[in-house]
Amino acid sequence: MKGNETFERNNPASVFVYYICVVAPVMFTMNPVIITLSLVGSVFSSFIGQERIGVRFHIYMLILFAIMTAANPIFYHNGETVLFVMNDNPITLEATIYGTVSAAAVISVLYRSRSFTLYMTSDRLLYLFSILSSKAALILTMALRYAPLYARHARRVADAQRAAGLYKERNMIDDIVGGGRVFSATATWALEYGIVTAASMEARGYGVGRRTRYSPYAFKHADIVLTATSLLLLAVIITAGAGGSFDFTFYPRIVAPPATVLTSAAYTAYGILSFLPAILTVIEVVRWKYLMQKI
Amino acid sequence: MIVIKNSRLRRVLRIVIPFVIAPLFVIAGTYLFEPKRQAFVALAIAILACVLFIAGFEHKKTGSRRLIITSIFVALSVIGRFIPFFKPTTALTIIAGVYLGGEAGFLTGAFSALISNFYFGQGPWTPFQMLAWGMIGFFAGVFSKFFIKSRFALIIYGVIAGCVFSVIMDVWTVLWYSGTFSKELFLAAVVAALPHTALYSVSNVIFLFLIARPMGEKLTRIKTKYGV
Repeated sequence: MKGNETFERNNPASVFVYYICVVAPVMFTMNPVIITLSLVGSVFSSFIGQERIGVRFHIYMLILFAIMTAANPIFYHNGETVLFVMNDNPITLEATIYGTVSAAAVISVLYRSRSFTLYMTSDRLLYLFSILSSKAALILTMALRYAPLYARHARRVADAQRAAGLYKERNMIDDIVGGGRVFSATATWALEYGIVTAASMEARGYGVGRRTRYSPYAFKHADIVLTATSLLLLAVIITAGAGGSFDFTFYPRIVAPPATVLTSAAYTAYGILSFLPAILTVIEVVRWKYLMQKI
Repeated sequence: MIVIKNSRLRRVLRIVIPFVIAPLFVIAGTYLFEPKRQAFVALAIAILACVLFIAGFEHKKTGSRRLIITSIFVALSVIGRFIPFFKPTTALTIIAGVYLGGEAGFLTGAFSALISNFYFGQGPWTPFQMLAWGMIGFFAGVFSKFFIKSRFALIIYGVIAGCVFSVIMDVWTVLWYSGTFSKELFLAAVVAALPHTALYSVSNVIFLFLIARPMGEKLTRIKTKYGV
């Protein structure tokens, strides 16, 4: 099991839409409820969803959270509740809370990005790009294929030069000059090899006539459901946000927006959106258990 | 090198993005949402700018050879980003821009950011890195005549490119963290990133000094030999 398997059967386009919908509200609002939901949802999904996130990432995020929370009250001195005075600068409660919320927003987006990176393997990204432009997708595929090829070739050139007796001793000048030599040899070979590829593509009729395109991903019912759900939930949130019912004032005093039906609807909508990977995983597990029982 | 082949789609994108979608995002960001969240607008504009650049490219001679050479440069600069400390990515982007034209420079920069982020991690910073590197490559192409003549000018451009890349990423960091642009946080970010900025600029100088000439010779040879 490798990577992020929550959306494994979905079309990349619908998953991309989902990630945009789940990240966008965090980017345009500073409402603590939304941001808390986003943070808890993304961290929870990273545990319950089938994503491979190492312990080191969690520790790194925790440290980053602490630093970013501390950064705001040190630079900003607005707010009327002074906690204590450091180097003649007041540290206020409001600035500390603002820093915590900011840090939570950034960390939750980092968690989403991590899970997005695990999901968006190169073949899926290529599919997304081929929707926009087949030529861009061609450049991407070629580069993806060439990068490991060149790395291997460069190692081969370096080995050959070492076998020929070059740079036996470790010194910096020698290393740099040697690196330059290996790079030069690899680049020349790469260009020649590329021209051969281009010639063979042209010989087989690349760029002649109409292009057809094969895609391994179909747009199924599940994708329609995922896309429609994401967009619908985002629409609810934007409707509430555009009406100003999210507006949360931090300075000089913390003022929460009044709780209306629209705000609670938006919070519920964002909660579902944020926990969607976890919900889907749970549904999958329950269905699996149910089917196993029948046997 | 026309990247988006459908000419109607290209024309629509070229008109709709700068005159309709981008202003719409700015207006929405100013009036609809809390005015504090400029980060969202900045992100949307960065993505749109990348698409606009790609839609705007129009070069009559669109050979598959030029396409392949661009992807070779992308691959080389992706590998270059794995070298610890001194990274030739920007230098290779600049060389691609100077010798293959602005479009190739933009694509090299933008795509090497995109591909290498599979390893370094994708995120909302990816569009900004794509735009920053792409623009470095594009402007290298715009001033290419100047840079081929004088290596000194090329190296100065490398220093400026390193600083500009760092500053663009710092602006994004501040916008993302605090939602609105603040001078104090920006200065703090610039100071914190100073070692990185110096490293970018120094490695640009080193690599442009070492590989700009030889790469130029190789590319000129390929061009005369195969007629790219």
